[in-house]
Amino acid sequence: MAAPAASSSFLGLSPGSRDPATVRRRSRGPRNRKKGWKRWAGPEARLGREIGDFLEDVVLQQRATGGLIAEQPDEGLFFVDTGNAEKDRQLNKGKEKPLHVDLVLQPDSKVPAPKNILAHQIPNGRKEKRRQQFWEKQAEKGVLPRAERRLRARLQRGRAPPEKVPEKGRSDPVRGFYDIWATDNPLDRALAGQDAWFLQQTKKQRVKRPARLQTKPSQVPAVEVIAAGGSYNPTFEDHQALLLQAHEVEVRKKREEDKVERQLRIPAGAELPTAETVFQEQCEGLVEESGDEEEDGKPPAPPAEPEDAPKTAPRQEKKTEQQRRREKEARALAAQQCREKAARCRRQEVFRLRSLRRQVTLWEAELLRRRQARLAKRRAKDALPRRLGRLRYEDPSLEVQLSDELAESLRTLKPEGSVLRDRFKSLQKRNLIEPRERAKFKRRYRLKYVEKRAFREVT
Amino acid sequence: MGGLEKKKYERGSATNYITRNRARKKLQLSLPDFRRLCILKGIYPHEPKHKKKVNKGSTAARTFYLLKDIKFLLHEPIVNKFREYKVFVRKLRKAYGKSEWSTVDRLKDNKPSYKLDHIVKERYPTFVDALRDLDDALSMCFLFSTFPRTGKCHVQTIQLCRRLAVEFLNYVIASRSLRKVFLSIKGIYYQAEVLGQPITWITPYTFAHDHPTDVDYRVMATFTEFYTTLLGFVNFRLYHSLNLLYPPKIDGQADVELKPAEGKEYAMDSESYLEKLSALSASLARVVAPTHEDEVEMDEFPVEGETAEQMDVRKKEQEALEKHKKLFEGLRFFLNREVPREPLAFIIRCFGGQVSWDKSLCIGATYDVSDPSITHQIVDRPRVEQQVVGRYYLQPQWVFDSVNAKLCLPVADYFPGVLLPPHLSPFVTEQEGDYIPPEKLKLLAMQRGENPGDARHQDEESEEEDEEEEDDNDKEEEEEEDESEKEEEMKLKKMEEQKTQSNKVTAGKLRLEDRQRLEQEQQSEEKRLAIMMMKKREKYLYKKIMFGKKRKVREANKLAAKRKAHDTAVKEEKKKSKKARRA
Repeated sequence: MAAPAASSSFLGLSPGSRDPATVRRRSRGPRNRKKGWKRWAGPEARLGREIGDFLEDVVLQQRATGGLIAEQPDEGLFFVDTGNAEKDRQLNKGKEKPLHVDLVLQPDSKVPAPKNILAHQIPNGRKEKRRQQFWEKQAEKGVLPRAERRLRARLQRGRAPPEKVPEKGRSDPVRGFYDIWATDNPLDRALAGQDAWFLQQTKKQRVKRPARLQTKPSQVPAVEVIAAGGSYNPTFEDHQALLLQAHEVEVRKKREEDKVERQLRIPAGAELPTAETVFQEQCEGLVEESGDEEEDGKPPAPPAEPEDAPKTAPRQEKKTEQQRRREKEARALAAQQCREKAARCRRQEVFRLRSLRRQVTLWEAELLRRRQARLAKRRAKDALPRRLGRLRYEDPSLEVQLSDELAESLRTLKPEGSVLRDRFKSLQKRNLIEPRERAKFKRRYRLKYVEKRAFREVT
Repeated sequence: MGGLEKKKYERGSATNYITRNRARKKLQLSLPDFRRLCILKGIYPHEPKHKKKVNKGSTAARTFYLLKDIKFLLHEPIVNKFREYKVFVRKLRKAYGKSEWSTVDRLKDNKPSYKLDHIVKERYPTFVDALRDLDDALSMCFLFSTFPRTGKCHVQTIQLCRRLAVEFLNYVIASRSLRKVFLSIKGIYYQAEVLGQPITWITPYTFAHDHPTDVDYRVMATFTEFYTTLLGFVNFRLYHSLNLLYPPKIDGQADVELKPAEGKEYAMDSESYLEKLSALSASLARVVAPTHEDEVEMDEFPVEGETAEQMDVRKKEQEALEKHKKLFEGLRFFLNREVPREPLAFIIRCFGGQVSWDKSLCIGATYDVSDPSITHQIVDRPRVEQQVVGRYYLQPQWVFDSVNAKLCLPVADYFPGVLLPPHLSPFVTEQEGDYIPPEKLKLLAMQRGENPGDARHQDEESEEEDEEEEDDNDKEEEEEEDESEKEEEMKLKKMEEQKTQSNKVTAGKLRLEDRQRLEQEQQSEEKRLAIMMMKKREKYLYKKIMFGKKRKVREANKLAAKRKAHDTAVKEEKKKSKKARRA
């Protein structure tokens, strides 16, 4: 126990030990608080630390060398060095140092590795053995396990069943086609010769397409050929006609733009608001107007006119009996006269038959006219693209080449517009799809930008 | 007032329609799937007549479908496939996320797929129905086949579209059914007559694409998906109607196989078949070898109620058509490398011509430039050096114009470096009284078999050549030209008169001998009397019609005058420039 005992006066072996002279006693705070108790202090604490260091040192030595260094014999610790390599080797023959690489590869732990139990032991060994014995016994009787039976059965059947060939997809370039309109096409072949009622009830037969779906939603032809002016080498007149058409479109567009601009422009004579007027406008009604201003302005409004006042209903006086009677008689008389007149008129109607008939025919003609007008309006509307959604159909811009853009020969022709857009617009025009606009990307949360630390240091 | 209270929006149009979102929920599909289903099944949105009623009092613009249509969609087996696909995608994503590659492989092997065959049958119960709707399918397939393979859509779709388009072109060649071609600034319009149905389609030029951003590619891809299926079945049927093999086989496969090395330079073995087919130079193999019999005169079955005149007209039409079909028969063309190969090869072969091109340009070249039997070489450059004697060097427009004019046009206007005559649209048919440009008039005259305009034109040209040689007689020539202009003017006036004669009634001069005149006078007199006898309302209508006709003629005259002014201006300018050059 020499080394640990000297720890108080000598420099310790462990890297954490310091010269005791230089170790200053740390002044601690007051002990009346719990905080002050946390660390051991005082001589007992030092003793405790020394014991701890000592024990740690012992463990380290045991781990590294297999025992305390102090108990090792001298031969274990030292070797003879004569300064001559030949002689040294002879002298230290028994305790030659192994190579460093071998040392590194040695397991350095003194604790033995756990044994691999499975190396000489099978899990569930007994059970498996029993099962094997059981099946051997069964095999003698001719009974085989299920998997074995199936395997043998398959072998007996011959070759394995053919693998299902994956169906060629609809857009596979090598898919095959057949005559779909023939009487014995493969589509109908499966259902041919079966009872119609049975097929219908078991939903094997497809639902018939309603006849209304065979009509097209628009009469516009599928491929609208461009006007003659759209030729790559047009005649003068045709080209001018097409240019005029394009020009009209542009003029219309320009007019609309101008309209908006005109509406938004500040009129020429108007005064622009200054800071003062803006302030005044904001303070309107907040500041009490002084009396002078009011007098300067307009004279005070005249008092409410009698016209504005609500008219008071004439006072109802109670009617006398006589008045009531007379009114009643007058009413009865008027009613009778009215009845008589109606009867007379009805009698006279007989003589108005011709004019009545004329009236009826007129009315019918009017109805017919209205009906026809309605029909014509609907017909005119049929040619136009319908309103199928939020957006209206908009005609694509006219493809046109200006006179100086026209190609001289086919080689120098620059195509105008895009066939793809033309097709797409045609689909919209024929009411096959509704006009849509591209869905806008909307971010729900704002992005948070973080600069990486490495990057921040650079900049 | 007994009975139950009538609630609003529980009957009538409000119950006949369904909004898109409700329909989508009813079908349990996502919006893209729903749109796809509607396109495939041909169910389109409706605009109700009384929107406010349908919309339960709201006036917001919505997309409506007929409720019955949506109920019909509920029976579609593809809906289930869509749902399966959704689940498949979910599983696949999960497997990817967990890096379970074996699962990914297994899932991909069992990817749910569907076919649209039954929908084609359902939407087009007869073959003619399908033919009537072929315009869209063809345009779409031709468009998609020109797409670059950059991921805007599936490469498989592009390949399939290309294959189907080429097959259709080959059919048109084999059946010689092309009628009209129009080179526009947008693309090339074709019209073919297949089994009596006119089919029009547009193909883009094969130049670089700019992909417009305002087009929904998903929708277009869905339409294409359906149309490829349709076009495949139609192609099959069309090929069989001509006794051709389907999938098409190139005739004389043997001699192609003799020199397989030739194909290897262009394409891999897997691709060379389609490439050879798309070269359009070889004819297709038939199921039954064609027998060259003498052409049997068709039996005629007079339709009841048809007069002999009508029969004659029909017969004449038929003959003209036969002649049109054999327009380029016996001609051998050679395409220079600067002209668009595919359209030209297609058109020339459609009318019976033989065509070839440079061997390095494309697979399937049948003969060389140096072949002495070439009759026409299509060139699109200002000058041709080393011209070979015995063939015409022509600009490509000659081919297109000849097809539209139904006759081989005189070649002089189409020599390389010559200012081309305008390319007229064959899709425009002038009504009586419309303005007809002089180029078209010339063409019509040529079709009738006359040849006046052309001769005069050549005269003019020779005049100009003379002019170059002789400097002195400028004045005379001007006079001559003036004369020719005067002639033209006279002609125009005459035409105007002809046009107006039918509607204008003028007092005739007395000429006793002229029997024709007398007859005419009598006719006009009768007409006047008839007009006088008209009822007020009818007279009003008659006047209106006459006014419209006159206005049309007036407009046509105005256009003619404008054209003349333009022509003279051009001529002046030419002359000036010529003088300047000479000075």
